[in-house]
Parts: sequence; structure tokens; C-alpha cells
Amino acid sequence: MNVLFLLIPLGLVLLALAVWGFFWAVRARQFDDLDSPGVRILLDDDSAPPRDGND
Amino acid sequence: MDAEARIRCFHCGSPVATGSSHEVLFDGQPRPVCCAGCEAAARLVLSQGLGRFYEFRSGESTPPELTGRDWSAFDREAALRLYTQLGADGNRAVSLQLEGLRCAACTWLIENSLRRLGGVLDVQVNPAAGRAELRFDPRRVNLGQVLERLAALGYSARPLSFTPADADADGEAERRVSLQRLAVAGLGMMQVMTFAISLYAGALQGMDARITDLMRLVSLLVATPVVLYAAQPFFTSAWRTLRAGTLGMDVPVATSIGAAYLWSVWSTLIGHGAVYFDSAVMFTFFLLVGRHIEMSLRHRAGSRQHALARLLPDSVLRLVGARTERVAPAEIVAGDRIRILPGERVAADGVVKSGISEVDESLLTGESMPRLRSPGALLTAGTLNLSGVLEMEVTRVGPESTLAAISRLLTRAQASRPQIADQADRVAAWFVGVVLLLAAAVAWYWLRVDAARAFPTVLAVLVVTCPCALSLATPAALAAATARLAGAGLLVARARALEALAAVDCVLFDKTGTLTRGQFRLEHERILTDRCDHARCLGLAAALERLSTHPIASAFASIEPAAGVSSVETAVGRGVSGRIDGVRYRIGRPDYALEGCSDVGMDSEALQTTVVLADTAGALATFAFTDELRPDAGTSLERLRALGLTPLIASGDRSAVVATVASRLGEPIARGALDAASKVDWVHSLQRQGHRVATVGDGVNDAPVLAASDVSIAIGSGTDLARVSADLVLLGERLEPVVCAIATARRTRRVIRQNLAWAAVYNATAVPLAALGWLQPWMAALGMSLSSLLVVLNAMRLLRSGS
Repeated sequence: MNVLFLLIPLGLVLLALAVWGFFWAVRARQFDDLDSPGVRILLDDDSAPPRDGND
Repeated sequence: MDAEARIRCFHCGSPVATGSSHEVLFDGQPRPVCCAGCEAAARLVLSQGLGRFYEFRSGESTPPELTGRDWSAFDREAALRLYTQLGADGNRAVSLQLEGLRCAACTWLIENSLRRLGGVLDVQVNPAAGRAELRFDPRRVNLGQVLERLAALGYSARPLSFTPADADADGEAERRVSLQRLAVAGLGMMQVMTFAISLYAGALQGMDARITDLMRLVSLLVATPVVLYAAQPFFTSAWRTLRAGTLGMDVPVATSIGAAYLWSVWSTLIGHGAVYFDSAVMFTFFLLVGRHIEMSLRHRAGSRQHALARLLPDSVLRLVGARTERVAPAEIVAGDRIRILPGERVAADGVVKSGISEVDESLLTGESMPRLRSPGALLTAGTLNLSGVLEMEVTRVGPESTLAAISRLLTRAQASRPQIADQADRVAAWFVGVVLLLAAAVAWYWLRVDAARAFPTVLAVLVVTCPCALSLATPAALAAATARLAGAGLLVARARALEALAAVDCVLFDKTGTLTRGQFRLEHERILTDRCDHARCLGLAAALERLSTHPIASAFASIEPAAGVSSVETAVGRGVSGRIDGVRYRIGRPDYALEGCSDVGMDSEALQTTVVLADTAGALATFAFTDELRPDAGTSLERLRALGLTPLIASGDRSAVVATVASRLGEPIARGALDAASKVDWVHSLQRQGHRVATVGDGVNDAPVLAASDVSIAIGSGTDLARVSADLVLLGERLEPVVCAIATARRTRRVIRQNLAWAAVYNATAVPLAALGWLQPWMAALGMSLSSLLVVLNAMRLLRSGS
């Protein structure tokens, strides 16, 4: 059971990483729009129509 | 379905007039569109290869405005400074408030269409907030071009000035912090629960004391940020209510989280005794989930309301000496001279200095015919200059301006608390007091009977009785209802309106501008000669009227104009003339159109009501107009009756006209020739008979009736909202939201009652169990959390568009 003395602190480190990752995601505005990205994948298609300039 | 598809506009979904020649080609098939504006928008979308928009959008689009607006004011240095933020690389960032966003497909369309403008570097559209964040290179593309492109697609956009207040009004910061607290609490809870289950199992099966100590220590480490960071709002709010000398629902919450934590810390440090980290952390997490949902509902209700700022013009023509310059409305100050071109809205309150023009003040006076304004007359911000060029001296801007008044209205709406929420809070304060006394009694009892069980029992009582269902559920239900209505195009200006609306049994409508649009529609045309056939006459009239801004001109908007108009002259309030294919045509009031013609050939009555098209030889055609009923007036009244409400019509118009309208709307009780005072009398007499009356009117003209009724609903389209003191404001052109509002108000009342009933039943069963010591603190935390989640989720049902 001595391995727990390693695993539990390791779990804590992972927890800290997870919290840090989530904070980063929130600040990077990953959670600002939860509706449209799901649909966007259906819409984006590969045919790239010509860019028009400043019309 | 085919028949349906044939008559609906491909772009905006409104009915297509028979004989309309507008159509676009999509998927190899011609699709009808209703007007030139929709045609242009659809062509623009399709020409960019963005046709998939039409497959994936979940609602019809907004028809774009046809009027060629001048966006150049946004290219000025001052406007750029006001609205955009300069990046280190010379690029600029701007936030746009968008109107007309329906779904994710709109987001995609806007982003892709704008990216194809060279110089637009990055676009992010947030449909929930109706916002677009844009980065562009000012050397390659102008802000005006971006706005023009958006307008062409049918989305009206307005740049937001870069102030910290804007970001805060959106609640973005609040939302982010809330998410972070949720994450800390959620992840912390998972860890602590793992250890808690191990510890419970260890207590039954035997566990190495060193490992027990380690787990308790680690639980302490994980629970600390949860309590100190994630649960912080409960502590600050509890402290705030205590300092104010009252008891709020956060007092027992903070007490139980704090007590459970401190007790457990002490137990951990001395190495024996029970720990309750699991209860404290779980309690925090579930409470935060409930609060987060409630906050999202509130924000959703709020964000749409910011869109109202668009009632003022985008730019103003300022006179500087002999020159003029296009400036942003925010730049003008009192004392400035500004020039208002036909078709523009007045940007500020002021006095006419020169020029004569008709001004559409229907927003202020409810008067559907435009007023003639000459030097010395007052102009009010938000009114629409129709025919001539006016120069005015600005008298009021800044805090007195319409814009400021609108934002005050909105702030008031968001700050005003409904009575029912106040009551719930007062009850909650009493309830908390009783709970604290009960906890003390339980502590006293258990200390004498079994001291070891005293703390967990008291903790369970405190946790299980948290009055969240009481204090959280009502605001959540109201916020959800407000958000729902905002989505449907109805602004709830006073929170108590929803309660009153649920009790309403009569709905009184004003006629002009409420049941009708206050806009003119071509009723019939009469061709007088064979010099010119039917289609040609309509084309000529449309071509000339396109150059006019008189309200009647809008009646011709859906007709294809004849090409090649030159040397146009506009006579203020009388008509338009222009040269087409070498012939001078005049359209307008008979005396104007027939000026200099000997052959009038019309009777005098016709002369008063019609518009005449004439060439130099004489009259060609006459056109008659009616004020059109709103397209959904009939169905709305029908649905009101289905809800068991009595629709009534009160109008200042002639009784015969009112009777005609009533006959087309299923014969509701209708009274004509009423002045404001007799409308009020009618409302009072209905109220004396025990009826609850909601009045739908145009805000200012009907103010006395609106004030007299139990609930007032103002038609806000184009209205000077600053002067509207109604409980609810309709933002769109449709009456349907009124029905929706009443149905939603009733559902809200039902949901609130369900929630309160649930809270009562839950507490009545849980409190005795906890006081008897049958509930572990963690069970109490789970039960309470689930109970409050249940009421919030119940409130969320209001967001769905019910039957």
C-alpha cells in the first residue's frame, strides 16, 4: 500500500494541472459560445469560393 | 408544401406578392423572394458560395433595408478612436452589436462573408450575446464597408464604444469567474469524494492509520481552495446580509460550509474525530451549479436588451462653418448645428434653424400623418425626417439624450425586483431565523443525549434546510421567462409585470399603429388613359416614389421600378417629379401632379384621398392606399380567445372604420371615436366589474390608458422608448409576442407555485429526519442540492417555447 504515498500526491498534481487547464480554457474564451461550434462543422465546406476584394 | 414554398420568400419567409418578378437561383431551381432587398441579400450570399446557409439556418432571415445608407461616418478618425482599439501591428479591433441573428448558421454566414472582404483579419460572432468581435486592417478595409456588407446581408450592426462598462454589462467577467469557481469545486469534489469513500470503506474494513491520516490531510489540501475560493460568494453574501441586519439564504449556507470545514480541519490536525470535507465540498459544488444556471438565465435576459441603442442614427452631418462633416452621434454637443437629410433620423433634441420638411413623429404622438416642421419648431431625437433637408441647433445630448434615457430604462428594468421575489426573500429571512433556532435546539438536545452526534446532526439540519428552493427558484423562473420573452421580441421593462400579466383576463388594443401598422399599402390603382399600360404606370410610380421618403412611398417598395430616372425634383409634402425616357412625370398630391394640366378628369373626392401619377399631358393613374392590419393581428386575437381572454378594441378613429377593422378580426368588442379620457373610463369600468386589463398601445399617445390598466404593453418599433413608461415593450412589428407573454406569464406563475410547493414538502420531510439524527451531513448536502437543482431546472423549462 506504500505506493499510495506516491499516487495520492501524483493525483494532486494532476488535479492542479486540470484546474490550470480549465482556467486557461475559460480565459481563452473557449466557453463563450457553446452553441454554434457544433453546427459550424456541418457548414464549413472545402470548396473555397474566390475571395472578393473590397467590393 | 410546394404551394407553401411557392408563396414564401426564400430569404425572409414573408409572403411574396403575386406577380412579383424577384427570384434567385438556388440548387438549380428558381426561388421566389419578396422584394429587391431580399433578392440582393440572397444573391450576395449565393455569389460568395455560402448557399449552405439556407440549408442549415433554423429560422427565416431578416429582410435587409433597401435604403442606401451612408456609412462613411465610421471611416473618420474620431469614429475609429471611439469604437475601435488600435493593436500594436496597426490593426484595429471592434465590437459590433448585431440584430437579426437567428441561429448558428447566421454566425457562420457572417464570419465567412466578412472574411472574404480583404483586410478583415478575424471575426468571431457570439450568437448568444448578439455580438461580433472583429479585427481588421484599416489600410485595406474601412469599418463602413464592414457595416455595409452586414446590412446587405440583412443584419443591422452597430459598433460598440470601447468602454469597460460595456464588457461588464455583458456579465462576461462574472460568467468566467463563475465557471472557474465551478471547475475548482467540481474537480475538488471528485477528489474529496474519492478519499471520503475510501475512508468510509477503511473505517469498516480497517485501514492503515498512516494512510487514513494521509487521505485526511490531502482532503484538507483539496477542500481548502474549494471553500476559500469557490465558496467565497456565499461567505461574502452572508456577511453582506448580516451587516444589513437581516438573514438571507446564504447565512445558513455559509455557516454550514464554514462549520463543516473548520471542524474537519481541527479533526485532521489533532488526528482523530470525524471529517466532513465531502459534505462541505459537495454542498459548495451543487449550490454553485444552481447559481451558475440562474446567472446564465439572467444574462440571457439582459443581453438582448442592449440592442435597443440602434434607435438613433449611425452618423450625423455636422456643419462646421460653411463645410459639413460626417461624425458619429457621440461626437456632437449642445450648440452644434447639424443637417438632417431626408430619410435620416434626428440624432438629438434641438430647434430647426432652416429648412422645411415633413417629420414622422408617429413615435411621439401616434399621429400617423407626418407633421410639417419649419424654423423655430422643436425636433426630438429619434423622429424621422421625411422629405426635405433640415438644419437644426442641438439643445440636448449626453445624459439628457434619448440614448441615455433608454439605457436608464433598461437599468431600471433590470434593477427592479418583482414583488414575489421580495416576498420570497422576506419569507426566507424568517425561515432562516427559524432554522437557526431549530439548529440551536437540536444542538442543545443532542449535547445532553449523545454529545458525539451533536455536531453532525446540527450540520445536517443546517444543510438540509437551506432555503434555496425559496430564494433561488423564483428569480430563476422570472429570469427564464424574461429571457424567453426577450427572444420573442418583448422587453420586460418592469419585473412585476409578469405577475400582473398572469392574472389578466381582458386585452385592450388601440387601433392605429397597434392593430394596424401605421403604414400604407397600395389598395387599388386606377389607370385613366391608354397612353400607358398598367405595368408601366406602376413601374413609373415606383421609380419616382423610390426617391421619396414619404410613408406612402413604402407602399411601392415591392414593385420593380422603371429604369433611367433623371433630373429629380422633390417638393416637400407634395410629391416627386423626374424625367424617364425623356418624359417628365410627376407623382404626388393631385394639385401637385396636375400642375399646369388643363385636363384633370377626376372628381373632387378622389382628389383628397389619392396619389396621382401624371405626365405633362394629364393624369395617367390614381393610387389609393389603406393602413394595413398587422399580418398577425387576426391570429393573435384568435389565440388570445383560445387562452380565455377577451380582446377589446378602443380607437380614436371614426366608428365606421373601427367596425370594419373589428369585422376582420372576429368581431371583438370595439369602440370608436374615443378620446384618451373615455378610453381610461372604459378601462376603469372594466376594472370595477372585476376584470384585469392589459392594454396594448403606442406608448406615448396612449399613455393615460396604459397607466390606468393593470399591465401596459407599448409598441416599441421606432418609438422613443425614453418616454415609454409601459411595463412591457414590444420590439418588433408583430403582435404575436403579446400572446406569448400572457402564456409565458401564466406558465411562470405555475412554475413558481410548483417550486414553492416542492420546497415546502421537501423541508417538511427532511427537517424532522435531520433533527432526529437519521441523516448524515453528506446525505443532507445531496438532498438539498438536488432539491435546489430541481427547482432551477424546473424554471428553465420556461425557456422552451411552450405550446
